[in-house]
Amino acid sequence: MPKLIRASGAAFRDEEDAFVTIEDDAPDPGGDIIVSLARYLAGSESLMARPSGRLGVRLEPEDEVETLEGRLSGVDLVALAFPKFRDGRPFTAARLLRTRLGFSGEIRAVGDVLRDQAGFMVRCGFDAFVPADGSTAAIWAEAAGRHSHVYQRAADARAPAFVERQGE
Amino acid sequence: MKALTANRLSDGEVVFWKNGVWVERLTDAEIFADDAGAGEAEVAARAQPTVVIDPYLIDLVDSAGFWAPVSYRERIRALGPTNHELHGKQAEGGGAVEALRQAHGAARSSGRVNLIRRK
Amino acid sequence: MYRYDAIDRAVLADRTAEFRDQVRRRLAGELTEDQFKPLRLMNGLYLQLHAYMLRVAVPYGSLSPVQMRALADIARRFDRGYGHFTTRTNIQFNWVKLADAPDILDALAAVDLHAIQTSGNCIRNVTADPYAGAAADELEDPRVWCEAIRQWSSLHPEFSFLPRKFKIAVTASPHDRTAAKVHDIGLLLRRGRDGETGFEVIVGGGMGRTPYVGPTIRAYLPSNRLFSYLEAILRVYNRHGRRDNAYKARIKILVAALGAEAFAREVEAEWEKIGPEGDVPAAEIERIRDAFTTPDFSSDPSTGDFEARRAAEPAFARFVRNNVKAHIRPGYGIVDISLKGIGETPGDMSADQMDLVADLAERFGQGDIRSTHEQNLVLPHVRLEHVHEVWKALDAAGLATPNINLISDIIACPGLDYCALANARAICVAQDIARRFEAPDRAEAIGEFKIKISGCINACGHHHVGHIGILGVDKKGEEFYQLTLGGSGAEDAAVGKMLGPALPIDRVTDAVEAIVDAYLRERREGERFLDTLRRTGDAPFKEAVYAEAH
Ligand code: HEM
Ligand code: SF4
Repeated sequence: MPKLIRASGAAFRDEEDAFVTIEDDAPDPGGDIIVSLARYLAGSESLMARPSGRLGVRLEPEDEVETLEGRLSGVDLVALAFPKFRDGRPFTAARLLRTRLGFSGEIRAVGDVLRDQAGFMVRCGFDAFVPADGSTAAIWAEAAGRHSHVYQRAADARAPAFVERQGE
Repeated sequence: MKALTANRLSDGEVVFWKNGVWVERLTDAEIFADDAGAGEAEVAARAQPTVVIDPYLIDLVDSAGFWAPVSYRERIRALGPTNHELHGKQAEGGGAVEALRQAHGAARSSGRVNLIRRK
Repeated sequence: MYRYDAIDRAVLADRTAEFRDQVRRRLAGELTEDQFKPLRLMNGLYLQLHAYMLRVAVPYGSLSPVQMRALADIARRFDRGYGHFTTRTNIQFNWVKLADAPDILDALAAVDLHAIQTSGNCIRNVTADPYAGAAADELEDPRVWCEAIRQWSSLHPEFSFLPRKFKIAVTASPHDRTAAKVHDIGLLLRRGRDGETGFEVIVGGGMGRTPYVGPTIRAYLPSNRLFSYLEAILRVYNRHGRRDNAYKARIKILVAALGAEAFAREVEAEWEKIGPEGDVPAAEIERIRDAFTTPDFSSDPSTGDFEARRAAEPAFARFVRNNVKAHIRPGYGIVDISLKGIGETPGDMSADQMDLVADLAERFGQGDIRSTHEQNLVLPHVRLEHVHEVWKALDAAGLATPNINLISDIIACPGLDYCALANARAICVAQDIARRFEAPDRAEAIGEFKIKISGCINACGHHHVGHIGILGVDKKGEEFYQLTLGGSGAEDAAVGKMLGPALPIDRVTDAVEAIVDAYLRERREGERFLDTLRRTGDAPFKEAVYAEAH
């Protein structure tokens, strides 16, 4: 099974991934599945009515997260794809999912996912990662914890410098 | 004629291929008369990603008995910046450097020479 | 100068540690060049023709003497004893080794400097008026806002992988010395009807392949809402800017494609959703304001023998005429240091010159040094009674060429002498033109004249906004140059128009001289070159350049 790194708070752990990503025309294999946004929008009722297994929806960078507004109740996971490491759209998507759509399920980074983005991803609300560079939870923890201070608000609970300074 | 060039990963230095290793002077470089040999060297060079960055082949012409790159970009790489004559490889001086400076490479439109040399 | 606190220092220390690890991984082969390149670029490390180049941020163009000496030290230890000041008000070192780069970043961090976000598709160093805090005509010091933007944009988790780079300029003076209208965002500080300060917001200017003068999308934004508004602009851009073609990825293309009004509507809608939650609290802005050292302006406006020397020494008078500007306080002047010595490389400075400027700033300049987007330096606060001594010292070091804003004050990018993207050289063209117009009387008679040269269409040398712009192109393996006329990067911003076919390198200086002569023939009392050109159109200049060409 593919490897997954999961964040809970400041802790990171390696996990086996129970989810399978299925193509739009493939039959539902049962169990935990991830479908494309298109498949989800087309068949959300039947997908919600599955007798067992969890449901994930995968968004490509060009998909608008707002299309999920009001349709997230049966969704356990949103996977945001990085076709290239340099494509920054999923950062916005994750932040909006957390802060504007109020999504509290798993937000997973898939695709060209490197440890060098760990800090940014965690701050934008990602809490699961399928790394493309062979990195482990330990490496991820170090990378994400690299910066002891941050300057701006994001989707996490970290206090930006201007709040820390007020406390002085 | 062709030579194979790249920048060295550790310091960015312009280097040229010579039988599997990299040298700093164009005059020391391996010169390829046929495309097949050049292509093989390029493949071998690409297999050294921790030694050099982006190796590629350049075309050469004869200039005063030395091989000079056809493009003036490559002549500047082989010499150094023209605003600091003591920086880069040109600092060494000598016949090979002079030949590079005098070369007119691909400049065909007006046959101008001394394209590298400053007034 | 803004004084760093422990948090600001920790951010730099964490960042340099991270980069050291990335360099190690690259050298060990754990990262491919494709993976490493964006990481090194986010720390300002480019690969040029002959070596790596490190671009060090000079945040909003402000440097202290201690920082300037550290730059001199880096130039000596890690480069060949010099550095290059750029049109982005940064400084570049041209001969850096990859393995040394982490040590250089440590040396920078020791004096509160860094190379963070000096490259890459992120929010770059903010441009400020180089006369900020000193200009007689400014509303308030824009650097407070620049520092707040620096912090807000540093390692921004959402906006570090934008479609393309992003440049912001802030000015508080009616005279735009930042080229704000050709930035991705230009912020012009204004006073609102209620007496509060705010910004006119210009978005989508830029140069490069498709130059635009940016449109105003909001005439007045209360300054306490700046950061939520920036967040809205950046979010709209991050989501909708093109990523399929690097040449069409700048925000200017998005703004032009949507139209300024539609773009503004998108931004306003997003802004409403963000709300004041996205703003930096007023208390923090005040903290930043207080963290700036305030110059100690003596109440004694004595000018010593300044006037007497000016009357007695023509060379000093000439320097004052061209390189000293009116200060907001009586008894002070703003001293421009020219990095455009005749025949020198525009923007280059030796380590010894850096040390000298640091000393002068310490002794006579309230410890304040600025870099300008025209590749010069400024001592913003010099008592008039000290200007003569400053001039003497600068002159002895080759830094007192009295040519600010004159024809030999030429901007040139590194061009093909250094840059891997270049088509043609820029430096030697600048040197040749400067030599032709070396005679200072002639240069002064010509008056304000901005020549800007780029070695390729990326326009790092701002050629689009030069009164004469010169663009290097490659024609069949030869260096050719395309001339444009009528550009301006000031408050009357305009993109220059192409004059005619490109010229070979050895005809460029003659062509410039022909244009200048035509201007001198055509001009009316009080007209700058731009004024004459706008009145006559380019016909007389075309004629002058191309008539005898056949
Ligand atoms: C030598 C390495 C350099 C490289 C590889 C480089 C690359 C580029 C590129 C690709 C662009 C076009 C970007 C776009 O329109 O999307 C650009 C624009 C620009 N660069 Fe550079 N540049 C270099 C050096 C410099 C220097 C030395 C300066 C300052 C003198 C500079 C200042 C600028 C400015 C002001 C622009 C303006 C264009 C704009 O913002 O639209 N760059 N550069
Ligand atoms: S304008 Fe072109 S040649 Fe000049 S520095 Fe920029 S990319 Fe290089």
